[in-house]
Amino acid sequence: MTAPASPTPAVIRLDGVSKRYGRTLALDGVSLEVENRELFALLGPNGAGKTTLMHILCTLLRPDGGSAEIAGHDVVRAPLAARSHLGIIFQEPSLDDRLTVWENLNLHGLVFGVPRALRRRRIAEMLALVELEDWADKPARTLSSGMKRRLEIARALLHDSEILLLDEPTVGLDAQTRERIWAYIRRLQAERGLTVVVTTHYIEEVEGCDRVCIIDRGKVLAIDTPHALRHAHGQQWLRVTPREAADRAAMLERFADRLLREDGAELVFRSDDAFAESFLGAFGTRIRTLANEVPSLESAFLTLTGRDLRDQGAGPRERTAAFGRRGGEHTR
Amino acid sequence: MSDPVPLAGPSRRSWLLVQLGGLYGLWLREVMRAMRDRGQLIGGVSRPILWVLILGIGLNPYFRGEVYGAVTFVVPFTYLQFIFPAVIALNIMFTSVQSAISVIWDREFGFLREVLVSPLSRATILLGKILGGTTVAVLHGCLVLVLARFADVPLTWGDVFRALGLMAMLAFALTCLGVVIANRIRTFEGFGVFSNAVILPLYFTSSSIFPLDPALSQAQTRVVYPDWLVTIVEWNPLTYAIDALRGTLIGYYQFSPAIGITVMGVAGVALFVIALYDFRRA
Repeated sequence: MTAPASPTPAVIRLDGVSKRYGRTLALDGVSLEVENRELFALLGPNGAGKTTLMHILCTLLRPDGGSAEIAGHDVVRAPLAARSHLGIIFQEPSLDDRLTVWENLNLHGLVFGVPRALRRRRIAEMLALVELEDWADKPARTLSSGMKRRLEIARALLHDSEILLLDEPTVGLDAQTRERIWAYIRRLQAERGLTVVVTTHYIEEVEGCDRVCIIDRGKVLAIDTPHALRHAHGQQWLRVTPREAADRAAMLERFADRLLREDGAELVFRSDDAFAESFLGAFGTRIRTLANEVPSLESAFLTLTGRDLRDQGAGPRERTAAFGRRGGEHTR
Repeated sequence: MSDPVPLAGPSRRSWLLVQLGGLYGLWLREVMRAMRDRGQLIGGVSRPILWVLILGIGLNPYFRGEVYGAVTFVVPFTYLQFIFPAVIALNIMFTSVQSAISVIWDREFGFLREVLVSPLSRATILLGKILGGTTVAVLHGCLVLVLARFADVPLTWGDVFRALGLMAMLAFALTCLGVVIANRIRTFEGFGVFSNAVILPLYFTSSSIFPLDPALSQAQTRVVYPDWLVTIVEWNPLTYAIDALRGTLIGYYQFSPAIGITVMGVAGVALFVIALYDFRRA
């Protein structure tokens, strides 16, 4: 897009990106922009194309069509320049279990060409940032999964990246740890002015994000703030219990087209702000109980994708990963 | 094109310096990991002891020509001396292939994924991993070399250094071979079978544990031994590598040492190129 320079220029720009694996179209003309210092979430079921999109952004995969830019660098033509802005956290933990926390960070610094003195200083800083100073000399395998994630976040920031890509950072973690990880992400984003792109299939996690992109079957279905998504695509319900049988009959007669279902004594109407107003105007004094159910992202997601966030069986790749986790054949 | 965010500090370092630093980091990681892997170390120690002490000493009496009466078998060495260089090669083979598997594992699920998005080139990454694997394999070879006294193999420092050079070439070529094979395997569950189907056959048909009698002519050899076995041994590149190593350590050559060095050099370079091609594509 050729929009004039705005106060918050887009740092990630995707234009009609497609990717095909054999016969499956993993990404189908995805276009989106992520603004500077934004916390941007990609929400979609497993297999929606989120990870493929992430891999294209971090230059591990080449798009079949369209273009992708990171901080003005095309990921196909200038992958090294694009990568130098990125800190990446993959879905599967990619720490070296046999090395200590400090060694993991040091190695990352070496690989990313951070000079020795600067490397040492940054490692200390990052360890403090994710509160793992006391663990510096412990092997990475002794860390809990939440601590491993924190270490990975520290590592991703070690080479002074301004854009953080997190692919399902909270998958497989318990609710408390997930909340903690998110607290870190939000704090980092606020304190260090990072641009954060995060994929997830947990709806409740995207509530605090600046903008959410709902993606399914390789297509972008909607991009907006969580609030706007709720209101544009979510369903609002009005639940009432009429006072008398006559009131009930009157309500049913007047708003028959809005009736969603009858829950025993309760009536549930599909609602919006205007409907609620006229309903209450007409029947406000003739109801015993009233509940206004505000639209949730969950219902917005259902409306857009026509289905729940699904789980699926393990593919060959997952099976191999599980094999390695069990300690199979010299893998670790 | 306007650059909304300034380039990060590290990218100011020269390209070559970054690559060398990364190469060192990846190499160091491999060596550190191997030092901390007890299972691998135990294998590296027990394997040569079993082969040299048990197999070598046990078969020693049956190896001398005079046991059979007629002198058609004239290798002037004990069996222990004869297999000693081959056991070094065996230890190198096992270790090389193990680290080769870790290349693939690392790339799919582990640490290497993160390295793949670093400023390092694919060639640097692969070379770092393979050199690390090579170093570890040579160290495991040295575990055998330490047993030289017990195998009655007298060594000068010159021999040791020449042997180390050959061991490094062998380890490099074998690690590359392991990477090339592992790249073509769909799942890891099948790899154990595969590596045994590659390592041991390659080893047993390399004239490592028995010599093709040098006193016989080409035609006679094919009469004494089955034709297919002679053909396999002659086509097996490992035959020449082990022969060169054996020549250096106990002074017994079946072929010219130049063949061994050439075979290892050419195989090492060719396999690295293939491995790199696969690695770039994946």
